[in-house]
Amino acid sequence: MPPKKSMLKVIILGDSGVGKTSLMQQFVNKKFFSQYKATIGADFLTKELTLDNRKVVLQIWDTAGQERFQSLGVAFYRGADCCVLMYDVTNHKSFENLETWHDEFLLQANPLDPENFPFTVIGNKIDVEEGKRQVSAQKAQRWCQEKGNFPYFETSAKEATGVDQAFDVTARNALQQDDAEGLDQEYPDGVDFSQYEQEPSGCAC
Amino acid sequence: MSDSVELVWSRSAVYIHPTKNNKDNIAGYLSLVRPPDGEILISWVPESLIKLSKQDYESYVQVDLSLDGEVTQKNQVFVSKPPSMSVGSLARSSHAFSIKLSDLYSMQMREPSLGWWYGSILLFTKQAETLPVLFFHDDESEVEKRRTKTMQKKRDDWGGEFFMEKLENYVDIRPSTLEKGVYLINPSAQDTLAFAPPVTTSNEVSGPNSAKAATWGDLKWNIFEKLAQVTRYSRKASQSMFDRTPAPLRSMLNIPEVEQLGQDFDSARVFLAEWALGIVQDQEDFQRKNININLNTYDSHFDDFSIVAQSIERRNPVTLEEWESFFDENDGRLTVTAEEVKERIFHGGLEPQVRPKAWLFLLNVYPWDTSAVERASIIAEKRNEYYRLKRKWWENIDMQENDSFWKDQKNRIEKDVLRTDRNIPLFEQSETPHPDPDSRLAQSGANPHLEQMRDMLITYNEYNENLGYVQGMSDLLSPLYVVLQDDALAFAAFCGFMERMERNFMRSQEGMRDQLSTLGHLTNFMLPKLYSHLAKADSIHFFFFFRMILVWFKREFEWDDVLRLWEVLWTNYYSSQFHLFIALAILDLNKAYIIERLHYFDEILKFINELSMTLDLDTVLTRAEELFTKFKLALDLVNWQNNQSEDTKSQTEVTEDLRMLLSREIVDQREQARPPGATGG
Ligand SMILES: Nc1nc2c(ncn2[C@@H]2O[C@H](COP(=O)(O)OP(=O)(O)OP(=O)(O)O)[C@@H](O)[C@H]2O)c(=O)[nH]1
Ligand SMILES: [Mg+2]
Repeated sequence: MPPKKSMLKVIILGDSGVGKTSLMQQFVNKKFFSQYKATIGADFLTKELTLDNRKVVLQIWDTAGQERFQSLGVAFYRGADCCVLMYDVTNHKSFENLETWHDEFLLQANPLDPENFPFTVIGNKIDVEEGKRQVSAQKAQRWCQEKGNFPYFETSAKEATGVDQAFDVTARNALQQDDAEGLDQEYPDGVDFSQYEQEPSGCAC
Repeated sequence: MSDSVELVWSRSAVYIHPTKNNKDNIAGYLSLVRPPDGEILISWVPESLIKLSKQDYESYVQVDLSLDGEVTQKNQVFVSKPPSMSVGSLARSSHAFSIKLSDLYSMQMREPSLGWWYGSILLFTKQAETLPVLFFHDDESEVEKRRTKTMQKKRDDWGGEFFMEKLENYVDIRPSTLEKGVYLINPSAQDTLAFAPPVTTSNEVSGPNSAKAATWGDLKWNIFEKLAQVTRYSRKASQSMFDRTPAPLRSMLNIPEVEQLGQDFDSARVFLAEWALGIVQDQEDFQRKNININLNTYDSHFDDFSIVAQSIERRNPVTLEEWESFFDENDGRLTVTAEEVKERIFHGGLEPQVRPKAWLFLLNVYPWDTSAVERASIIAEKRNEYYRLKRKWWENIDMQENDSFWKDQKNRIEKDVLRTDRNIPLFEQSETPHPDPDSRLAQSGANPHLEQMRDMLITYNEYNENLGYVQGMSDLLSPLYVVLQDDALAFAAFCGFMERMERNFMRSQEGMRDQLSTLGHLTNFMLPKLYSHLAKADSIHFFFFFRMILVWFKREFEWDDVLRLWEVLWTNYYSSQFHLFIALAILDLNKAYIIERLHYFDEILKFINELSMTLDLDTVLTRAEELFTKFKLALDLVNWQNNQSEDTKSQTEVTEDLRMLLSREIVDQREQARPPGATGG
């Protein structure tokens, strides 16, 4: 019997334009395109990873950054195993808003143990010239420690810096969370793995 | 010569259109012929078949060209007997047919009009045979050209009329008083009563105690039953749905007179509606007194789109020439009704050159009933208005530097302009460096169109203070700007568009919530099986339609198709919320796959998102129109049933939001004043 695989659900949140879509595309498809359209609604990509001999499928959800669009989009927050909070290092406001994103997520997703729910924080666009940076790494790190020792990463979706590391840790935390919530538990809106592996047999088409 | 028949009348350039594609049209001759036994036949034979015999061909041409289409007694012309429907495969594959006049039951005349390029006639036989629709391409007809030359042609006459005039020499033709354009041929007394009742005041006819009313009802009942059989028979035939739905059935359901005729007629109408919807399985099952509409039975039958109570076809887009012909040469006022123009646009869309003109009407920049001079002055006004609004923020340096809301909104707009339709040539990256290297737009080089987009959106942000700029609006503006290529006009048109789209962007998301919920009700009503599947998959919030509804399918169709779709939707031809029928059509076209394969919300979301750029617009539009037609029919049916039944428990509930879908007035949902301190987020 092949080892059991886990489906890990990760949600990326952050202000519009911080680079959520770019980061996800860079991680899953290894490409950067400077003109992704503004996200409307929600979408997800999946990627298979091996973590210490365990195969996991990461399902990464990308959502629209404009706040008002969150109110209808909470359908997919449920069942998340980890949440990535993302800001743009050249935009201080996007950093300030992390607080709101964090609280909003816990409120909507309503995880079993909110105190210990895993978050990852990402500061994106570190490829820009130093003069344009508005949030220092120290400042961001301090915030992460205070909030609950969230792992902090700095990335450039554009130049693919730090992206894999950020998702590696995110996936591990998600896996831990998944295990903690009980591996055998059926996900209320989990995905049928077979669709990523092979076409289900017995189809008449 | 037993195989030859006398050619009494004939007309060239009568086409059949076996498919939607013009290339497949078949030219032929419509004629009246008299076989030796004397009973006149109507026949249609493709030109190619006639040309097989040189002599025949010459005869047909000769008879066609004898100006009134007739030959004198002395001068009889004989041709080979035209193939009848039932003989040989040649006739079948060539579409040729001939029928006895005594077998003709009714016919429908469709005049050439804005909507139909060519006038056409539909013949219905007593045996409910499926005959092709005959299109009169008068512009190719030699005889018409002669009539034009000799000044005999009148403005509105067309080939079908000449056919009917000729036919009147041999049969009694009675126009149906119930529907314009339908004629009964040698009608029986019963038929006449049913379809061509004398136009009387209602108290003469109805009244529950009148003996006349009783027979009247029974009579109609018979006819309707007969019709229903015709429908069922036709269902099995496999030609285009259009050819097979008898015109009387199609028309019965929709005409005001029918509604006035009272209860017994009403039940007949319901009976018909049920047939049209394919609900009644078997005639014996049908209980006239107690019809129980179980909406769940609709679903399976809805697959069969062969029976729709209306013919649905897409047409060619409106050309510039046609568009200009709608207007008076002198004062530029419409010479047709706005309604006709909208119907035309709804079914065909517009050619690209027409869009800059027509969109200004469709988006309420100016009203339909204006003259050219009035329109010019409205445009001048709008232009001033735009520059005035734009100058207001442009010159307000204090706001630009200190108002954090304004600065936020500007950032948001610039970020979105840089991500909007950059594949369209107008918005492409420019090699020339931007004059202001500190501008956020500098990364795209000097492209004035991006600047215009930004300025229009900032101006809108100021203009609609309560709403401001919200993501998605740049997607709505860009096609208007690309088509109109004028910032002031595009802004005016955008404001018109936003009148109906404001509800999509509200801070509370109330407008989006309402639409998704209505889409849910609509799906439940029309596609109940799919709906219950979606319910099991935890998906009846319909969130996966969020994107499609927010920006009107902008991300789902190719650019050109988006332009077409929007102009169709702007007409409000059936409903101001026809976009929900587009969504329903997309679901309907994919429901088999969804039900069979997709069991969780995320699978469904993924599937729907990935339909993007795979959808065929014409297919979707046609299906949406079919669904609307059925929806309307089904609502009628439910209304009737609910009126019948005293017992409210057995009534089918139709929510108000569904009834609202029949309205053509835009849904007016406005944002409230921005609360102090609220961000634009
Ligand atoms: N220099 C730089 N630009 C980036 C980077 N990541 C994203 N961008 C740019 O930032 C802008 C926004 O990126 P998106 O990925 O669309 O942002 P988003 O967070 O998905 O935005 P929404 O969909 O509106 O919520 C785009 O113009 C990207 O090209 C990065 O690492 N470096
Ligand atoms: Mg995005």
